Amino acid sequence: MELAEQRSLSPIWVRFRLNGREVALQVSPGESALHLLREKLGLKGAKEGCGMGECGACTIVVDQKAVNSCLMMAAQLDGKEVLTVEGLESPVGLHPLQEAFLEQHAVQCGFCTPGMLMSAYALLARNPTPTRREIQEALEGNLCRCTGYEQILAAVEAAAKRISKGESS
Amino acid sequence: MEYHCPKSLPEALGLLQRYGSQAIPLAGGTDLMVEIREGKHQGAHVVDISRLSELKLLELNEGEVRLGAGITFSEILDSELLREQANVLVQAASRIGSLQIRNLATVGGNVVHCSPCADSVPALLVLEARAVLQSAEGVRELPLQEILVGPYRSGIRPGELLTHFVFQGASRFWSGFQKLARRNALAISRLSLAVLAQQNGQGLRTLRIALGSGTPVPRRMEKVESFLLGKAPRERDLWEAGRLLACSMLEITGVRVSTAYKEKAVQGLLVRALLPLVRNGN
Repeated sequence: MELAEQRSLSPIWVRFRLNGREVALQVSPGESALHLLREKLGLKGAKEGCGMGECGACTIVVDQKAVNSCLMMAAQLDGKEVLTVEGLESPVGLHPLQEAFLEQHAVQCGFCTPGMLMSAYALLARNPTPTRREIQEALEGNLCRCTGYEQILAAVEAAAKRISKGESS
Repeated sequence: MEYHCPKSLPEALGLLQRYGSQAIPLAGGTDLMVEIREGKHQGAHVVDISRLSELKLLELNEGEVRLGAGITFSEILDSELLREQANVLVQAASRIGSLQIRNLATVGGNVVHCSPCADSVPALLVLEARAVLQSAEGVRELPLQEILVGPYRSGIRPGELLTHFVFQGASRFWSGFQKLARRNALAISRLSLAVLAQQNGQGLRTLRIALGSGTPVPRRMEKVESFLLGKAPRERDLWEAGRLLACSMLEITGVRVSTAYKEKAVQGLLVRALLPLVRNGN
């Protein structure tokens, strides 16, 4: 991660909404959004797996879209609405997706889980009643090396049902 | 490294002119950030063009489509206009990277990076897209093939920015896109093929075929096109055309380690691409 820190002559200031709260801080040119979140803001949920957009462990949601935070420059977060796994939980408790991941045993080593949750969150925000195929497509950029995909798909299905039931009641 | 975030296209072009070959435009970042992580571009001036509305142009005017270079692949997939006017590009976009990549990566970035396996390039080649390059000094418009100079080398000059593509809408063409890779998602193409065709009772009136990943830069395969043009091909003609495609590829690349595989695979890809058209008509 040292490579992400490169010296700049002029400071870059960014201001964005992070998990519902306004943040403003200085970033380095070339620094990734992932580095900013983990090393400067202490949010260790998003993980660096491959560092090149292949594993999805660093997935966060920016302006309602799932993106690889390792492929985004920290400076590009300026003015954006950013959600990380740390922002899923509410004062009432875990997000229905997190509850469903627990109940369906969709977590083994846990390394891919924050990325899986964020991809699933972006999917349900856009499409509250996805088919299994649509869930697979939304998660195809997230690799799980414990190979627990079946449980993960089941968890997203369960969460979608719970959310849509909650909204209709 | 320095980071610049211009507010308008003229401001961006001014920065590109000032820093010349040291300037690197940042659009989706999906290739650039990987290179920066590898330690490349240490002394570069990164010009962030990802917020420029001028590069998000998407319009149809008197049958001509103008497609902004800053349009992401997710935006391509969501566009009704492109689904109708450039279906081959929509098909190619659906096979690129993963959802997270498609949410960031832009069609312009895919082209200027000049990777031999850029999936949108064969699609744009069969659409006969022209690339519009702007600089502080003026505008150049040239056929896409001419900016594909070599692997990872584009013909875009320092100070120039690819702003958009122009092509005739292809709503009346049949289109097909095929990609061979190790997995369905998140996989670099081993071979890709884009086809645009039009046929009447007598046979194929128009046929454009472009191959990706088979040659140093993606390119049209004119020999194969003229072999099939005017014919009402049957399956065995497609296999013959596939052999011709493999020969054309080998004429350019020579025999390489991957030839034993690619020679056969490219034939199959062509047959797979054109068979639905031959069986069902247009």
